[in-house]
Amino acid sequence: MGYDGKKRYRWRILIGQVALLLACLGMIEYLVRAEIVGSLYLSKPTQVAEEIYKLFADGEIFHDLLVTLKEFAAGYLLSAFAGIATGMFLVLVPHAENFFRPFLSALLAIPKVTIIPLLMLWLGIGLSHKVAIVFLFCFFTIAFNTITGIKQTAEAHLKVARVFEASKLQTIVKVILPSAAPTIFVSLRVSAATGLVGALFGEMVASKDGLGNLLVQATSLYDTAKAFGIITVVTVVSVLIIGVIDLLEKRVVLKWKSS
Amino acid sequence: MAGFEVRGVSKVYGGATPTETLSNIDLTIEDGEFLSILGPSGCGKSTLLEILAGLQLPTSGEVWFGGAKLKGPGIERGVVFQDPSLYPWRSVAKNVQLGLEMRGVAKGERREDAQRYLDLVGLKGFEHKYPHHLSGGMKQRAGLARALANGPEVLLMDEPFGAVDHLTRLQLQDDLLRIWEAEKKTVVFVTHDVSEAVFLGDRVVLLSPRPGRINRIFQVPQARPRRRDDAGLLKIQNDIYAAIHEVKSSESLEFTI
Ligand SMILES: Nc1ncnc2c1ncn2[C@@H]1O[C@H](COP(=O)(O)OP(=O)(O)OP(=O)(O)O)[C@@H](O)[C@H]1O
Ligand SMILES: [Mg+2]
Repeated sequence: MGYDGKKRYRWRILIGQVALLLACLGMIEYLVRAEIVGSLYLSKPTQVAEEIYKLFADGEIFHDLLVTLKEFAAGYLLSAFAGIATGMFLVLVPHAENFFRPFLSALLAIPKVTIIPLLMLWLGIGLSHKVAIVFLFCFFTIAFNTITGIKQTAEAHLKVARVFEASKLQTIVKVILPSAAPTIFVSLRVSAATGLVGALFGEMVASKDGLGNLLVQATSLYDTAKAFGIITVVTVVSVLIIGVIDLLEKRVVLKWKSS
Repeated sequence: MAGFEVRGVSKVYGGATPTETLSNIDLTIEDGEFLSILGPSGCGKSTLLEILAGLQLPTSGEVWFGGAKLKGPGIERGVVFQDPSLYPWRSVAKNVQLGLEMRGVAKGERREDAQRYLDLVGLKGFEHKYPHHLSGGMKQRAGLARALANGPEVLLMDEPFGAVDHLTRLQLQDDLLRIWEAEKKTVVFVTHDVSEAVFLGDRVVLLSPRPGRINRIFQVPQARPRRRDDAGLLKIQNDIYAAIHEVKSSESLEFTI
């Protein structure tokens, strides 16, 4: 199949996908309009769109959006740095992994949501509470993937560094980290999604603002359309965050793979 | 002074079933010599080369290099690995610059040096490609350029042309001789291929099957440039085949070359 053929193929798939999406939305619109499904349970897509427009038009959502993003960004960046640093420490310092692994595994095994009430006790219900939750949701995955990634460093690549009399630091920066980067990025992508879930969940359990809080308010008032609107916004945010990380991966760190 | 003195070197790999890999190797490698090492699979050629590189220590015996006892790897000994082991996340040029980078050579100078050797091995125009864009033979050339860019006194090469087709291999042999003659290095060249060993080397060391011992050393006095169909070279090849056959029948061990 030539390039043109492939391109045409892609277009056809895209048209099909859009058609399916519109059909689904149209179906829901019909079900609610015809009152086959009550508007308490589902909302007309047109009404959801209207709600989203309103959320942005009167600026109500910006404050909560910013709060959620701040919580996520702080927790996520913190867990990324701490996770990568912990992973490196455990593998690169002799015996560190043997010593700490059982502790780390035990901590990993605790279902994180069970700590949320305790965290509330310790940190209140503000920013630091959510940052801590996001951190807990992301940290372990990143740390363990860093360990795995570092261990994947090819023996042959290390030999090359030794022949060139690389220092310990040079070996880490020029050989070990680049070798581990793909595996670390897998965890960064996964954690971006779970981290956002952590922030939202924390807000839903206990907070004064944030998208999770906004969502709980909407549902407690049986404002189903607004709830769907917020869910849509949250989904878009999640997709955008992962998009940014993918972009970082493709364009910067793992440029060599895609080129 | 870039010669080796190998004295009574033995190597036993530890583990559940210790493997005696090299046994009592005595060998002098002269400064500026091109030495071929020939031997069956698993006889310890790579191990011997890694010991010369300082990547491994012998279990017993010692290696002297340039008048001092060898303690570890050093940039004056370049290694070309059997699998070129290029870093996939670095462009070809960046791979070739690796050793210079480790030594803190300034960027501009680094680029110039690397470029010179990329041109020399015929990789002009591929500087910005990544290793997975290169063919097997081109990767081997890049590996050679990476070792050469550091200006080592010694080149330790482990079946460097093992993964390429016959014609490319002949081309790479000619390239290597050209470089060796231009830069007057000591070369230790491990290979499976009898004709390659004879065509390239001043001497050919034939190792016996595991545990590797020196079976015989063949002199190759022919002047360079040599012709591949030179009668003298063919005679030496036949002698080597005969020696291999002898080992095979006397020890009734599998001996594949
Ligand atoms: N790191 C290691 N640990 C344990 N045993 C090893 C190790 N490296 C090599 N050996 C063993 O030592 C022997 C010689 O290995 P070596 O790689 O030196 O052989 P070789 O002559 O280079 O073989 P080939 O021609 O197939 O590359 C083999 O039996 C191998 O199993
Ligand atoms: Mg080998």
